[in-house]
Amino acid sequence: MDQFLQHLLNGVILGGSYALLGIGLTLIFGIMYVVNFTHGELYSFGAYMVFGVVAALHGNFFVALFLAVALGAVLGAGIERSLLRPLRGTSIDTTMLVMIGAWIAMQNAEQLLWTGVAKAIRHPFPEAPLVIGPVSVSWIRIFVFAAAILLIAASHLLIRRTRLGTAMRATFQDRETAALMGVNIDAIHTVTFAFGSGLAAAAGALLGPVFVVFPTMGDLAALKAFAIVILGGMGNFLGATLGGLILGVVEEMGAGYISSGYRDAMGFLIIIVVLLFRPTGLFARAERVG
Amino acid sequence: MLVVEGLVCRYGKVNAVRELSLRVEEGELVTLIGANGAGKTTTLKAISGLLRPAAGRIVFEGAEIQAASPRAILGRGIAHCPEGRRVFPYLTVQENLEMGSYLRRDPAGAAEDMGRIFRRFPVLEERRRQAAGTLSGGEQQMLAIGRALMSRPRLILFDEPSLGLAPNLVETTFDIIREIRNQGVTVLMVEQNAYAALEMADRSYLIEAGAVALEGRGRELLGNPYVKQAYLGG
Repeated sequence: MDQFLQHLLNGVILGGSYALLGIGLTLIFGIMYVVNFTHGELYSFGAYMVFGVVAALHGNFFVALFLAVALGAVLGAGIERSLLRPLRGTSIDTTMLVMIGAWIAMQNAEQLLWTGVAKAIRHPFPEAPLVIGPVSVSWIRIFVFAAAILLIAASHLLIRRTRLGTAMRATFQDRETAALMGVNIDAIHTVTFAFGSGLAAAAGALLGPVFVVFPTMGDLAALKAFAIVILGGMGNFLGATLGGLILGVVEEMGAGYISSGYRDAMGFLIIIVVLLFRPTGLFARAERVG
Repeated sequence: MLVVEGLVCRYGKVNAVRELSLRVEEGELVTLIGANGAGKTTTLKAISGLLRPAAGRIVFEGAEIQAASPRAILGRGIAHCPEGRRVFPYLTVQENLEMGSYLRRDPAGAAEDMGRIFRRFPVLEERRRQAAGTLSGGEQQMLAIGRALMSRPRLILFDEPSLGLAPNLVETTFDIIREIRNQGVTVLMVEQNAYAALEMADRSYLIEAGAVALEGRGRELLGNPYVKQAYLGG
């Protein structure tokens, strides 16, 4: 039982960051209909930014986190403006190929800049874990979880409660009518992609210090993000949040009770099961973002 | 108020509108009638900026707008209530109305207008937190009209407002449009129901094959033998 509680706690904490990753992708993939293969690279970009600011520039850890998210959003805006805007209206296959190209280019740029050697990020939290009864959890993980929940809540409020969020939802429901309301459609596309990218960078910036940072770390992260979006239903904000938490818990349980070698297989197992039995996602009935 | 001169619109190589000219004076209710595919909807889309015309001029209150964005045109005071109502199905009724006032920078005035719309259409207030996609066709039409009014336009373009509505709701919708005109908003309306469109209009244009075939006061056209034979069923 104690072991179960420990796995559950680890899973929920990991799942918080997965949820960020999934929300970012569900916004882009689920409502812009762009199969965003660069999502994982934005995740590793976030992690490398924190590493770079902390290690190379001796910067403050929290400043580094903030910069990573902000620069991730800027990079996303750049990708949208330069690669996706000229392709708007073309087939989903065309954008998919272009995004695969961008993914390969970005990953190789990381390898060139930082080499293939895995890096650890120094963080200011104490090494000794917090022990509560039978379970223990490190302080950095507590911080990561709290930050993830805060970002999820802020994203939810942005999409649900602000004028910009309403315009985003309206645009992806009916672009032409949104234009008639005076919405600047180009700007909404850029902002949405930047926002999703910022969340991916945030997930990488938060999990980077928990694990290690290496150039291909984004590949697995992107696949997990797709698993979360499929699990939660395309474009479904709440689904992505719960999907992230579920994936985190399932991974921890799989690693704990089956074998740690199977940890990363869990996401794909989920994709297969969901596609077989509920192809619209577990939470398809919940209201969509767009 | 609005002058369209020599408008040409193309979809690929097909000319949907060829050399169409019309004008709307302030305070008028003008209707466009004609068969399916005659170019009526295309004309409205060109006026509101959804379509870039291949040639011709569109002048609103002295300014050329044929190259302007929908956003800029709405900002000048032209709202477009599109064919098929096109409410945002997953947004609530209130959010749909808020989208109508998206460009406005006076929240107090917008809130006041929303209150007025709720008083005029109490069913919308009852359902303000409901997703617009769950409303009936008639309720969606009221919402679409309310949303267009939220920008406080001086000219409203209505595209087939009666399409797909039950007969009693068709009459209600036309009453609402008359009421809007009586409050001083100029109306340009496309309507397939030729009899109603001619009867309620100050002036009408008959559009055929992308150009104006006839123009006249609504009641004059009602008596025109050609219109009678071709559009009013004898």
